[in-house]
Amino acid sequence: MDLHFHDVSIALYRQESELGSALLVHTYSSIEGAQQRIAAVTGTMATLGEMDRIGEPACQLRFSCGAQHHLASKRLFLEACKLPPEGVVQPRPLSIFDKKSRANVTVSSLGNGVYQLGTDGESEVASKRCSAITGGLVKLGEMEAVGGSENRIAFPCGHPHDRLVGLLLVRALNVRGAQREQEMAAARGQLVAPSAQKQ
Amino acid sequence: MTSRQRVMAALRREPVDRTPVCNPTSVATVELMDLVGAPFPDANRNPEMMARLAATSYTELEFDSVMPVFSIIQESSALGCKMQWEQKDNWPTVRMQEPIWVEPDDIKIPPDFLTHPDMKCVLDAIRILRKEYGNEVAIIGKTMGPWTLGYHCFGVEPFLLMSLDDPGKTKLCLDRMKEATIQFGLAQIEAGADALTLPDHATGDLVSGEYYKRFLLDLHIEFAERLPAALILHICGKTLDRMDYIAQTGMAAFHYDSKNPPSEAMSIVGNRISLVGNINNPETLFSKGPENVREEVYRNLEARVHLVGPECAIPLQTSIENLKEISRSVKDWHKDHSTSN
Repeated sequence: MDLHFHDVSIALYRQESELGSALLVHTYSSIEGAQQRIAAVTGTMATLGEMDRIGEPACQLRFSCGAQHHLASKRLFLEACKLPPEGVVQPRPLSIFDKKSRANVTVSSLGNGVYQLGTDGESEVASKRCSAITGGLVKLGEMEAVGGSENRIAFPCGHPHDRLVGLLLVRALNVRGAQREQEMAAARGQLVAPSAQKQ
Repeated sequence: MTSRQRVMAALRREPVDRTPVCNPTSVATVELMDLVGAPFPDANRNPEMMARLAATSYTELEFDSVMPVFSIIQESSALGCKMQWEQKDNWPTVRMQEPIWVEPDDIKIPPDFLTHPDMKCVLDAIRILRKEYGNEVAIIGKTMGPWTLGYHCFGVEPFLLMSLDDPGKTKLCLDRMKEATIQFGLAQIEAGADALTLPDHATGDLVSGEYYKRFLLDLHIEFAERLPAALILHICGKTLDRMDYIAQTGMAAFHYDSKNPPSEAMSIVGNRISLVGNINNPETLFSKGPENVREEVYRNLEARVHLVGPECAIPLQTSIENLKEISRSVKDWHKDHSTSN
């Protein structure tokens, strides 16, 4: 439900065509301004996730690598819907301050979809947090650990997605919170028998 | 056959041109609410909105039935339970932690029970649908069984404890509450309902098959005798252990959960009662894609289940595409089978 636009429902649909798989932001609402809001969310996703806009009139989205990146695109959609429509959309940086370790965590792109996480903190906490944040990115972006090097991860598609990593990095600081948010959203709207309701 | 003829024939286990698609509980979703401008909670309390949202089952999803009573709380609201009407994306609920009854003598069905706004809303919505769609589509009403009313009015824990401590008192309570079920059921039939869903949440997780027999079997037989319409019993969860009893009630159909394999369920009930369901809600319709929906539909059709549809009220955030896939796959399956035969 879009809290920024009359509580209309907005969904992310996957569409298949001869050009391959693409994503479509869609609402069934016909109230005035709904299509403009959809266009705005689509634009925000394209900017934050560095996605290509395809089709006519450019309402579908696709990663340039052609991969689906299912979980990451779902997260991208949720983040795009959360942003107030009047704000300016800026890609997120590949560096973030982590309050728990009081240090900056930086992600460096090594090419071919491989990323290295590092921290400027020297404490044991900072080192553990860097590993935890790496794990968070793996979960949120369905990335893979690269053997032989600590805190090195990669997208299975073998292509870089810097902006997507920047977006996920914010949530990777508290991956449990992000997952809990998704679980709660999924549980909402499910009718359960009276005996199973929380009282 | 029209959709209505198809559903009614399947409820009588008579021949049909294809398996009807039917959800006896609810197909309301936030997308459908947006499509027709009838959001929750208003669509549970305003008859025009209720009818408009219910009709999408037929007009958009191509189901063979419409069901305007989306929730399970209309009667409890009229009985005086405290309600939480919630927002567009969540179900209204009864505040069961604040029960209104403790003893059998507390049970009173108010004289204005059927004219309470939340009851009148349902009756008016059925009339609107009947006027609008005539005999095209089966209109299904809903009247809650006394076990569910017991949970709502006494609270889940006190009611279950009473059933353990004092079965006689529990039976007396059920007997008094059943009049609410009958009154609302009769009023809906009079308003134009073709069939009635009768949810009675003696669910598999808390109530055994033997418990069902002891407390509910006779009552359900009585409902089948006193309510002159096809009755569709709805109980969630694993219910294979009581399906033999349910098949003896004389009700037209049993709306059953995906926790019960269709072929096993069919082998228990045989031709004594129709089965309707059992496409999984949380995992398939809500979380997966059309191809998974199709697989489950086919599994039911291959087991010769009489009416196919979601296992229960579908999650409000289910996509329209997944719901449309149910009727698409039923039609495709029959097309393939008529060709191959």
